[in-house]
Amino acid sequence: MFAVETLSLSKKYGKTDALRELNFTVDEGEIMVILGPNGSGKTTLLMTLCTILKPTSGTAKVMGIDVVKDGTKVREVMGIAFQEARGFWRHKPSSILKFHASMFDIDPVKRQDLIEQTMKELELWESRDKLFMHLSGGQAKRLETAKVLVQRPKLAIFDEPTSQVDLRGKRKIWDKIRELRDQGSTIIVATNEVREAEYLADRVTILHKGTLVVRDSIPKLKDAIAGGDVVEVGFEDPVADKLVEDLKNLGGILTMSPEGNQLRANVSKAEDWVPRMTSASYNMGAKISTIKITEPSLDDVFLHFTGKSLEENP
Amino acid sequence: MNRVLTLASFNISMILAERMGLVLSWALFALQFGIFGSLMSHLVQSTKVQDYFFFYGVGLMVITVFDTGSFVGRRFVERAHEGELPYYLSLPISRRGFLESQAVYGVVATILRAGPPLIGVLAFTGRFTLPGAFFALLSLTTLGLGISGIMISFSFIAFKSIDIYNAIIAGLSALLVRFSTVFYPLIFIPSFYSPVAVFSPLTYGADLTRWVLGFDPHLLLNPILAAVVVTAIALGTLSLSAGIVDKIIEGVKAA
Repeated sequence: MFAVETLSLSKKYGKTDALRELNFTVDEGEIMVILGPNGSGKTTLLMTLCTILKPTSGTAKVMGIDVVKDGTKVREVMGIAFQEARGFWRHKPSSILKFHASMFDIDPVKRQDLIEQTMKELELWESRDKLFMHLSGGQAKRLETAKVLVQRPKLAIFDEPTSQVDLRGKRKIWDKIRELRDQGSTIIVATNEVREAEYLADRVTILHKGTLVVRDSIPKLKDAIAGGDVVEVGFEDPVADKLVEDLKNLGGILTMSPEGNQLRANVSKAEDWVPRMTSASYNMGAKISTIKITEPSLDDVFLHFTGKSLEENP
Repeated sequence: MNRVLTLASFNISMILAERMGLVLSWALFALQFGIFGSLMSHLVQSTKVQDYFFFYGVGLMVITVFDTGSFVGRRFVERAHEGELPYYLSLPISRRGFLESQAVYGVVATILRAGPPLIGVLAFTGRFTLPGAFFALLSLTTLGLGISGIMISFSFIAFKSIDIYNAIIAGLSALLVRFSTVFYPLIFIPSFYSPVAVFSPLTYGADLTRWVLGFDPHLLLNPILAAVVVTAIALGTLSLSAGIVDKIIEGVKAA
């Protein structure tokens, strides 16, 4: 059984298609990162899974439970940290977490300790008695994450969990999300931050204009880009034409551009090509001074599969 | 049921967190009752209405209940726009349970806002009895539920346009209050105007509360009819609200 499964899931807002015939699955116990620019349908998908939005057509199941037919049961097994942390202006973070824990029947004996521990780990403990309206954007966002961490649901959904959070805070949240996965929860993270996806993902789903473009682990997605690895080689002497010809004959190379003592090559798999290149260079008597290998980023992966950059507008 | 009450008490704690607002609303009531009520009762000299001061006091309570009911309905819409509604809709409670929690919240809000003024008016006019206060509060609370239900039922408009919603609610409020027996008995209302007054829920709420408090029945609508209408409006609009929350309203529209 999949933790999440959608079949031909569509959602329309008027004439706008937010999701189009989406077939999407998440395995139990994995962190699935949904990557896509604003407007790609990430939030609509998450809101549908947690029963806030109703699909226009198609089906969606969470832990085998239909989100339309059995919404309340779905909500019992999942928790969501929303993209926008808003509301409850006159409540304190500790009372918001207490309320959340009581709604999800967290053991009253353990509740207080769990809340205190989570608030300390997310550096919210000092602000426990501040009103929500006096929290910074980053603190409010961390509180949103804390709700799910206290709840420990079977399916935890995080919608852009670290937007507005500083770098140190991001790392803390990411570590807590991975810890939650290690404790047995299935995790879905929607983001348009490549670094976040690289840090968290067991697998990545790329959404573009409401459709699933590709879904796989990050190494496999990167390997799927022909010529995605960039190898920059520095030689002690100018690169000879004969060496360039020999290197071209090695195979596995897409483009090569020699310039003075430098040679830049786009190759499919750097780990295969570099040993052959060094051997060929040695045989030609060309002395290598530096080698720099750059593998494609997820942004490059996105560009490869969609023809657009993550930072571009849809 | 436990979750319904947990959610309701969380919402109620928000009212209690705004204690100053509550105290100010009581003070405003006392001011209006003391100054306008006293002046109006001197202006209205009718042998048919023996105690217009008290009549006015009950009318003022009905207005307070109307304002509270409207507030509960508006808060529902504000929650959607401020981002609280998606959170509530993600909690493990049925949509009907969510509405029930809003109803409990509405009842407590009505009691908190109208209860002290009611006791004050009854004590000030020397008409305080426990059964009278209890049944008057019951009547006012049922009316409050109906008003909240009406406002929430209209909330689906706010999801299309908050401006249109505000305009409709403002217009509706003006009509419901003016075309009612809140400040004048039905028998004094001119014939070209009185047929409209029977369409206002406030007419039934005001007359039922006055009857419960021992007002001259000749000046009021049939109390059984009033009780049936007030109860039917409360149940009907709350059921409609439940349907709207379940079928129409969606917490957010985000792509």
